[in-house]
Amino acid sequence: MNIKFASRLIISLTLTFLIGPFLIIILAGLSAGDFMTFPPDGMSLKWYIKVFTVESFRESFWLSMLLAVFGTICALILGIPAAYAISRYDLPYSETIKTIVAAPIIVPGIIVGLALLRYLVVPLNFTVTLALFMAHTALVLPYAVRVVSSSLNNLRGDMEEAAVLLGCGRVGAFMRIVLPNIRSGVLAAFILGFVTSFNQVPVSLFLSGPGVRTLPIDMLGYMEITYDPSVAALSALLAFLSVAIVFVAEKFLGFSRYV
Amino acid sequence: MSDNFVSLQKLSLAYGQTLVVPHLDLDIRKGELIALLGPSGCGKTTTMRAIAGLMAPQSGHILIDAQDVTRIPANKRGIGLVFQSYALFPHLSAFENVAFGLRLKKLTNSDITKRVDRWLETVGLAHLAKRKPDDMSGGQQQRLALARSLVLEPKVLLLDEPLSNLDARLRLDMRLELQRVQLETGITMVFVTHDQAEALALANRIVLMKDGKIEQLGAPDELYNAPQTRFAADFLGFQNIFEVEDQTIVGKGNALPLSFQTKARYLAWRPGAVTLEKGKYEGKIKSVSFAGEQREFVIEAPIGQIKATTPAANLPRQIGEIIRFDLPSEGVCELRE
Ligand SMILES: Nc1ncnc2c1ncn2[C@@H]1O[C@H](COP(=O)(O)OP(=O)(O)O)[C@@H](O)[C@H]1O
Ligand SMILES: [Mg+2]
Repeated sequence: MNIKFASRLIISLTLTFLIGPFLIIILAGLSAGDFMTFPPDGMSLKWYIKVFTVESFRESFWLSMLLAVFGTICALILGIPAAYAISRYDLPYSETIKTIVAAPIIVPGIIVGLALLRYLVVPLNFTVTLALFMAHTALVLPYAVRVVSSSLNNLRGDMEEAAVLLGCGRVGAFMRIVLPNIRSGVLAAFILGFVTSFNQVPVSLFLSGPGVRTLPIDMLGYMEITYDPSVAALSALLAFLSVAIVFVAEKFLGFSRYV
Repeated sequence: MSDNFVSLQKLSLAYGQTLVVPHLDLDIRKGELIALLGPSGCGKTTTMRAIAGLMAPQSGHILIDAQDVTRIPANKRGIGLVFQSYALFPHLSAFENVAFGLRLKKLTNSDITKRVDRWLETVGLAHLAKRKPDDMSGGQQQRLALARSLVLEPKVLLLDEPLSNLDARLRLDMRLELQRVQLETGITMVFVTHDQAEALALANRIVLMKDGKIEQLGAPDELYNAPQTRFAADFLGFQNIFEVEDQTIVGKGNALPLSFQTKARYLAWRPGAVTLEKGKYEGKIKSVSFAGEQREFVIEAPIGQIKATTPAANLPRQIGEIIRFDLPSEGVCELRE
């Protein structure tokens, strides 16, 4: 009886701490007052509506979106062949390669951002947007390699050989046999990468210039000046967007069946 | 043209520094069903992969249909291979698995459908055309893998342990199936097995391998009745194999004088060739077991254990009794090392 009670308590607490803040944010955004408070000061949708009228939010949202989508795609384009090579061939330095690939998540983001600013943007005149794009690609790459690797390791190598004996070239076998069978891993890597990139703060902190700011940085900046509930409303909207993306992906591409 | 359809010449195969097949010469005739038989790890799969082109030989040549294919890549050799694991494509239906090779050849859709349907029919899977391989039984997967290779009408079909993943009943069915397909298509087939009974039952000729070398090559009855070496006899189920020195059988530090002349290094008898109840040797019955038509005896003799069988009706003898036996010259096999 006591064990049952204890386990219920633990589950309830876990849920409270996971979902609680989310609910608080949603409610704080619904406030009718001018400051972010909880419990909310009356009820209205005005802050949710205001989010869409703030010019800088709109710009930074699209920047973040493009960074997340193309950075992740780029990371996958680099990461899938890398993962394939690591899992299929006996490379002499495969452990070292894995470590180097994982470096961007091991090194603190602030340092990555600072390094890019100090050694690419300032001396080489890279645009901030390009530096951001490179940073986000590099950040997502480790996830791409890891997740795709684990799918590849579950895939038997002899299927590719079978395809070759049926007349495929090596590249054809990869496209026709390997890719369709690691689809779920690629999709999982994409979602993970997208979310990582979209919510990225420390790296992007140094990489912002006039008119070029990612959404999280923009929100941070906005909050320093105005402490109204629109940031809470925006956060809630972003959370809904993430849930929707995962839901749609799961619905149409059915990855949860495999992962 | 000679009837050597596939010819392996001085082939040597290695994984890095590990030499697996040191020097292999083998000629396979057109339309024959040949078995590569040998214990696990003797290099059967390796040899097969080399023929298919999945592995480059360290030296030597592979000829198929009088053409040197040693440098021709696997996808251009026109060889079919049924993998031990079947290696079916899990994301494609049975139909699409079989159609895979045809689609690469850019045939018309109606042509593809016709040929795939015919092969699915032949292997008895027409009703499962839409099913994915993971939802099929072992025997069905096996037949699908067979159809997938055969639809391309390869010059040679290689089969790696085609029956080892099936249960005993299915194994018999598949044996018949393979024989039937071979008879119908006249295709040259090479199949790998570590099961002597399978090789004896299926093959026109058997290549017995040991440590990457050919130990003996011949028709099934040749191998069964007249193995040349101690290893061959052991592998083909001779259970009484003894060393000979100066016209005596030696074993366990004891010696028994032979009743006939021989120059062989080893002698072997099948259990049925051992005579019981008469003869000049004696031993103690260690076990008796009834096996349907015959009774199997294990006799503890001075030179070691003797396995013998008699028709079941004979000899109702008990464990522990002393029994006379003979190792006669009829039914003996003379072996070298
Ligand atoms: N990829 C490999 N790398 C290194 N050694 C291998 C590899 N594959 C097989 N071998 C070795 O080669 C020998 C022959 O293997 P194989 O041809 O698979 O034997 P069989 O099919 O007769 O059981 C074995 O000793 C095995 O350990
Ligand atoms: Mg093998």
